[in-house]
This record gives sequence, structure tokens and C-alpha cells, in this order.
Amino acid sequence: MKKAFVLFCGLSTFALAETADTVPLKIDISQLPPQSKLIDNVVVPVPSEIFGVLDRLGKPNWTAVLRTFKRPIKPSGDQSQIALLLGTVIAEGFIAVEAENAEEVKKIGNNVLILSKSLNADRKAKQRAQSISEAADRKDWQTVRRELDKALDDVKETMVEMQSEQISQLVSLGGWLRGTEALTAVVTNDFKPDGAELLHQPMLLDYFEKRLANMPTKIKSNAVVTKVQQGILDIRPLVGTVDGTQISEKTVKEIGRISADLVKAINAKAQ
Amino acid sequence: MKRIIATVLLALVASVTPVSATIDDALSLALEAANPYVKEGFTVREDYWGGDLPVKQTKAIVHQLFKGNEYWFWMATDVKDAKISVHIYDSDGNLAETESKAVPVNGGKAHASFVRPKKTGSYYLIVEIEKSPEERTTWSLAYGFR
Repeated sequence: MKKAFVLFCGLSTFALAETADTVPLKIDISQLPPQSKLIDNVVVPVPSEIFGVLDRLGKPNWTAVLRTFKRPIKPSGDQSQIALLLGTVIAEGFIAVEAENAEEVKKIGNNVLILSKSLNADRKAKQRAQSISEAADRKDWQTVRRELDKALDDVKETMVEMQSEQISQLVSLGGWLRGTEALTAVVTNDFKPDGAELLHQPMLLDYFEKRLANMPTKIKSNAVVTKVQQGILDIRPLVGTVDGTQISEKTVKEIGRISADLVKAINAKAQ
Repeated sequence: MKRIIATVLLALVASVTPVSATIDDALSLALEAANPYVKEGFTVREDYWGGDLPVKQTKAIVHQLFKGNEYWFWMATDVKDAKISVHIYDSDGNLAETESKAVPVNGGKAHASFVRPKKTGSYYLIVEIEKSPEERTTWSLAYGFR
């Protein structure tokens, strides 16, 4: 768990009209003070949060979605690209769990260690990689999922301690992109409106867009980061604004094309 | 001499001032509240929210939820005499939770709310310190899904 945490401001201007034991059935979201609507502390969902829904909607062929590693990953590019790459590798781990591919999960655990070392964020990574490997051997998928989530959190925590919070956000973004690419692959293969609706994540896209825009020039000038920033802007209008928006099969494919292109750019030279 | 007096005074103050509550302490209690639900198949996320608030002030957290999942949100504080709450609203401001209750924890207070989202999208988690003997009460909010 990350220890450093953001202090929320108290919002004296927004008080629920609520007695001790009653909860208002409706509140006016537009009356929330501006600072309460800021999305500074967004918790980005892990891929398994979405994959579980897909499992209930049908029988996705996760083996077909999974990208296998033929050899240990080669960290390439600067820290920002490695952070994005680490995010995609952790997301691949969640896909490997869905595919119940123990060998691939173990390779991914090792790749997480390699990339964490490249980011100087490997304090807990060795232990984490070992836990992932042992749980994969036991086919204890729930524990693998938990360890992958912890691996993500360990890296973020270390990066925050190293005053590299912005790099840590790129780890989340990389994971989100690979998770989104996988989601579009599953939905495209067996289109269901409820599956497509899972792509409706405007708040997360706004969050990523804002975070990327506020990154220092040094990070933003990286060609891959620039490409990712443009890709997020391209995806944003496709997911709709209003909750309940129907996302068409054509749009799912377009989001899939953009996210696949970005994941490919992040992974260039890594294998 | 002044320095010695100041040191002694500081030591005295330190000895009577309670150790400040931390978000980690509140988080431990939120996870304690979550524990029974893990046995029911809920996956508790490593990430969480936290902060401190004065009494009767609220905080709104915007969070992405997915239709098809079930979610529990567990809010906790280590202030034993506090009363806290977390409630879940959809993007239209409608109360979305179907269950909301106090959860017993050792050494603090916890409150949990459950939602089965009708739509995929942004939801508002409204956290509040309803009562507390403290000027500001430290809290933490964890969540789990299945």
C-alpha cells in the first residue's frame, strides 16, 4: 500500500442536507464545489476489474489475446518509456491470469523485476516476482492478481518517494492502454453492447489527458509520450460523455486500433 | 537555561499529546472491515483514498465503476467516538448504493456501502465525518470488487 497520500481539503461549502440517520436520495452534482470535482486522486482500475465482467458476459478467448514473451524483456528508451512499458507488462500479467497460463505469468513476474530495476524501483520487486511465480505454480490466480496489483503499487510508491510521481502515473497509463487494447479485442471478437459499455471511461481519460498535459517538457518531449498524449486525445471523444452511452462496434474497433498502435510504440525494441 | 526550559516544556507537551492519527491507521481498520468480504470473493484494491476532515464537512471522490461488477466501499477512522459515512451516487446525483451500514472494527469506526452499478461510468463517493471529538478526523477509504 502506498504510504504517502494526498490530503483532501475539507469542503465547508458542500454539506449534505442530511440528518443523522437519513441519506439524501438525490444530490445536485453541479453544486459540488469546483475543488471536489477535481480528479487529482483518481484510482485507476486494474484490468481484472474489467476482465471479470467480460468473463460473465461470455467466454473470451484470453489465450488469443495474450502476448507471450519469447525472451526476457529489454528495457528501452528513457524512464518515461520504461514506465509505460512496465504498465503494459503488468497488464499482460492480468491477461495471462485470465488465460491461466502459469509459465507466462512467471515470465511476466521476471519482466516486472527487470523493468523495476531499470526504474530503480526494485526494492520489493524481487520478493514480488517470487510471490507471483510461486502463486502461478500453485495456479492460485487470485493471489497472482493481488501480487500484480501490489507490484503496481510498489513501483508507484517508490517513484513517489523518489519525487518521480509523474513517472509513476505513466505506469498506470501503460497498464490502462494495454488493458483497453485487450478489452477491445475481446469485445470486437464477440460484440455485445454491455461489453462495449465498459469502454465508457471519460473521467479516466480526462485524468490521463490532464496529467500528461502537466508533465514536464523533458517527459513530454519523449516521442512515445507525445504519441500517447495524442492517442488519449483521439480516444476521448469516442467513449462518450454521458453515462449509458452506447458505443458501436465500429467505435470499439477504432479505440482498439488506437490503443494497439500506442502499445506497439511503447513496446518497440523491448523484445 | 532558556533552551533547557524549552526542551522540558516540549517533552511535557509531547507526553500529553496523543500520537497523531495517520491515514495508515485508518486504512488498517478499513481493511479489517473489508476482511469478511474477501472471503465472499471480493478483491480489495491496493490503492485507496484518505485524508482528514472536520465534522459535518464532506468530500466527493469521483470514481469509475463498471456495470456487471459489485463493489463495496469501506471507510474507517481510528477515532473511536467518531461517526463516519460513505455514500455512493451516480453521475446524475441519484443515490446508487443498495446497502449501507456501520461495520464493527477494533479501535475505531467503520462504515461500508455496497453498489451494483446500473451503468458503467463515473460515480461520486461522498465521505463525511458526522460526529467526532477531534477537530479534524483522519479517514481512509478502500474498495473491493467482484
